This record gives sequence, structure tokens and C-alpha cells, in this order.
Amino acid sequence: MFHLLQTNVTQTVSDASSAGSYFPVGIQLLFVVGMIGFLMVVTHLLGPKRHTSDKLQTFSSGIESHGDARQPMAIKYFLVAILFVLFDVEVIFFYPYAVNFRGLGWSGFWAVLMFVAFFLCGFIYIIKKGALDWED
Amino acid sequence: MNALIFSAVSGVIMMFSSFLLNNKNSVRVLAHVLLLATIIANIFELRGISFFHIDTRGMLEFDRFALLFTLVANVCTFAFFLLSSRDLEKIGNHYSDYFSLLFFILAGIVVSSSFKSLLMLFLGIEILSIPLYILTGSDKRNLKSNEASLKYFLMGSFSTGLMLMGIALIYGATGTFQTGITVAEKVPVLLITGMMLLLFSMSFKVSAAPFHFWTPDVYDGAPTVVTSFMATVVKAAGFIAFMRLFAEEFGSIRPEWKLLVGIVAAVTLFIGNITAVFQQSVKRMLAYSSISQAGFMMLAIYSLSNDAKEGLILYAAAYSLATIGIFAVLVRMKDYTFEGFNGFAKQQPFLAGILVVFLLSLAGIPLTAGFLSKFYMLKATIDGGSLALAIFAVLMAAVSVYYYFRLIQSMYFKTGNATISGTTTGFKYTLAALAGITILLGIFPNLLTNWLYF
Repeated sequence: MFHLLQTNVTQTVSDASSAGSYFPVGIQLLFVVGMIGFLMVVTHLLGPKRHTSDKLQTFSSGIESHGDARQPMAIKYFLVAILFVLFDVEVIFFYPYAVNFRGLGWSGFWAVLMFVAFFLCGFIYIIKKGALDWED
Repeated sequence: MNALIFSAVSGVIMMFSSFLLNNKNSVRVLAHVLLLATIIANIFELRGISFFHIDTRGMLEFDRFALLFTLVANVCTFAFFLLSSRDLEKIGNHYSDYFSLLFFILAGIVVSSSFKSLLMLFLGIEILSIPLYILTGSDKRNLKSNEASLKYFLMGSFSTGLMLMGIALIYGATGTFQTGITVAEKVPVLLITGMMLLLFSMSFKVSAAPFHFWTPDVYDGAPTVVTSFMATVVKAAGFIAFMRLFAEEFGSIRPEWKLLVGIVAAVTLFIGNITAVFQQSVKRMLAYSSISQAGFMMLAIYSLSNDAKEGLILYAAAYSLATIGIFAVLVRMKDYTFEGFNGFAKQQPFLAGILVVFLLSLAGIPLTAGFLSKFYMLKATIDGGSLALAIFAVLMAAVSVYYYFRLIQSMYFKTGNATISGTTTGFKYTLAALAGITILLGIFPNLLTNWLYF
């Protein structure tokens, strides 16, 4: 904002990287913030307020909610999901390598082999740590 | 390069040792040996012998500054291992995993202190932060530790987002990720915006005010052993990355940020010191003290001279050694408040004496490394043309004497029954060695800084 205020608006802006060319964006930003703030204040002041017990209830697809959402649940699902993502991403890295297979030659092969070896280390680690044991 | 590969491979080895080695003692010994090997490999590279010749395409450069700081960080970590590795055991069941995370942090430190490309800066900072998020929450059954971890993770990832945004804007302005840009006389607005975003996110990482709000809660909530590592080696690494970024990338647009960095330094000094005065817990006091010491290290970035470079390395060493020493004693105390230290000198005169050396070093009393590192910072600031900032820093250092001496006062001049457990002879000798190094560096700082030049 500080730099925006230093702009000379009367001068036509020719340099794309000068602060002046961002002046319309700054105006827009101010306008957007002002507009939203104004609307929020106005709705708060003018809108009617009727609090009924039904209205204040938690809404879940129209079905009456019961119980507490804060229950402990098994972390296994998340663990498997995140490990899946990890090894899925590994496969994505193979694609550019497959496309450039010939061009990269032997040095590329060793690099990819090292990459896979590190992943294999991680795989052995999670198996040995028992991250994939479903039964307790 | 040696230290990077050694520490990364050590991390993997430690991962495997969690199911290959059943004995906790052998895990600990293995970690010490691996770290020692990393240190030796790094010294070899400092002497010009590199074991690996890998083409980094100019993205990493292992110059003397980076190598020397890597050495300092590794040696401080070794001191941390010697003093606190037994306490690491008490956090939880995954003993060797904690070591592997620490090794990965070291790998991140190497990357973030020797980057030549903004991408590598981002990668280094992330490799350094993510294991820290885990370590902060490693005390799983402790709610405070969980809270600290979540808080650190959310705020840290937000500041990483700011950093990426800044890097993207700088790329937009200059068309390259390599550092060392040259600008024409008219600085593009995009570059300035990117620079400011990077300034904010790096200030967050090193907990400089006004981006310091996460620090006390996270340092307080994390297991004390982890705090000891986080507040010292990692913070120093953040400053080295900060220094490198602003010296190499933004050195040419210095007038644009000099005032801002000066203000950040002054505010950090002020908030850190004044708030530390009111703390009742020693752990929390050390958290605020780390903020105030960060203010002093910001002065190096403000002045960016040769003195500042030497001073920052010396500061990193002095501050890390002293704080690791104090934390190592604090971990074994039963009560973390100032009252918990009442009468400590009567029971453990030897340990109390060593603690006094560390506290004097943090306060910046002559004949300790802390004095000379503060001296270098002030000299660089005055040479950089800001006498007022230097005077303000001296005033704030005088304030800091209050809370450091308060601990000395409760150890020596108050009666009480301070309880400490598990002080072995080896522990005492290691602490004494650290205190010796602190005094030695305070008398002969050249022992360390000369490594920068030959």
C-alpha cells in the first residue's frame, strides 16, 4: 500500500513493472473490502433477529442429530490413505522419466534407481514398524 | 556435500535401527558414532577434501561460511547428544526415530545454509521444519505438547505459504530462481513485494518480533529436550539462511529493506527482553531469552559486513552452547520455576558454578563467548551507520542481565531444596567442557573465526 500511495496518477503509466500500473488493482482491493464490510454491517443492523430453539440446532441434512462427534476413531484408515498417496506420487515421477528414458541415459537410470531405493527403504520401514497391520 | 549426504544417510540408518537394534544403549551409541562421522566428513570438506562430486547445477554452493556453520551446528548437536540423549529416551517409545528426525533436521540445516537457488532455500527450510513439527508433538499423551505441535504446524505452514508466494513474485520479477540478481536503478515493485514476504516468513522462522507469538507456547509445550535443540541449533540455522538470503539475493536493493530490518531487530530486542523479565518459569524465560538473542542476531542481517558474518557464526556457537548447557540441567530438575532452583548451589556447587558461566555468557559478560559475539554485532552495527540502534541494543542487553542474574540469585542466595536427578560424572564433565569452550571462545574467538579464511 505504501508503494501504491507514491504513484503519480496523472502521468500515463507506460512501464509495466512500476507501482502505478498496480493502482487500479489497489483501488479494486479497497472497493472490495469496503463493499463487503459495508454489506456485513448493514445486514447486521437492518436484518430481523428471531432465535428459536429449532433454528439454533446443528443442521445435518434435516435428520435430528444425536451423540457427540468427538469420539476416538481408528487412525488406520488415515495411515493407509496417506501411505497410498505417498507411493502414488512416486509413480507420478516415473512418467516423466519414462518419456525421457533414452535421453537421460545411464546417469538418469542410476538417479531413478536411487530414488526407488529410498522409497523401498521407506516401504520396508513402514512394514517393519507395523503401520500396515490391520488387526491389533 | 559431505555433511549433507552423511547426515541424510545417518537418518535412514537410524530409521532402520528402530527394528534392527533392540537395545536402547546400542541405538544411542550408534547415533553418536554417526554424528561423529558426519563431523569428521565435514572437517575434511572444510579442508578441501570432498568425498562426493555431484553436479548440483549451481543450486547449492558449499562455501566456507556454510561449511563452518555446518560444523558449528554439528558440534553443538553432538554436545546436545552427549548431554541430553538419555532424556530423549523418556519422551516416548520411538527412541531411534527421534534420532533419525534429528539427523534429517541436520540435513535440512546443511541445505538451508548453502543454498544458491530460492528453490533450495524453500526445500531446506521445509526439511528442517517438518521433523520439528513431529518432535514437538512427540510427547503424545501430553495435551500441551499436542497443542504446541498443532500450533507450530499451522503457523509454520502458513509462513511457508508466504515464503512460496514471495519466491513466486521474485521469479516473476527477475525470471530466475538463482540468487545474486542485479537490478537496474528502478527496482520492480514485484521484487520488493516478494522481498517483504520472504522477510516476514524468515522472521517467523527465527521468531523475530512481531512474528514471535508462536515461540513461547511452542517452546513451553514441546518436551524440554526438544526445546533445547529447537531454540539453539535450528534457530541459528534459520539466521544463517536469513543472512545468506539477504546478503546474496537482496544485497543489491539494500536501501529498500535496511530500515525494515532495523525496526524488526529493535522490536524483537524490546519485546523479548521486557517480557522475559516477567516470567516465573525458567523454561519460558529461556523461550523469551531466545527471542531477545534473536534480536541481537538480527543486527548481523542489518549490517551485513564481514564483522557481522564472523560475529554471527560466533554468536551461533556461543548462544547454542550456553543454552544447550542450561537446558540439559533444566531437564533434570523437578521444578521448572525460579523457586525450583532455590538452594541449588548448596547441593550441587559444581553444577551451579557451570550454570553461572553459561548465564554470564548469555548476558554478555566479558571473558565469555557471549560478550565477544555481542561485541562483534554492535561493532558491525556502528560501522553500518546506526549508532542509535547499537545504543538501544546495549540498553536491552542490560535489561537481560536482570532475568539471567535472577536465576543465579535463586541458586546462591536463597534457601530451598532444589531437586535434581540423574547427574552422572560424565554429565558433569561434559558440562564443564562446554563451559570451558565458552570461556575459551571468549578469550580467543579467532580459534573459530579463522576457519572462515583458510
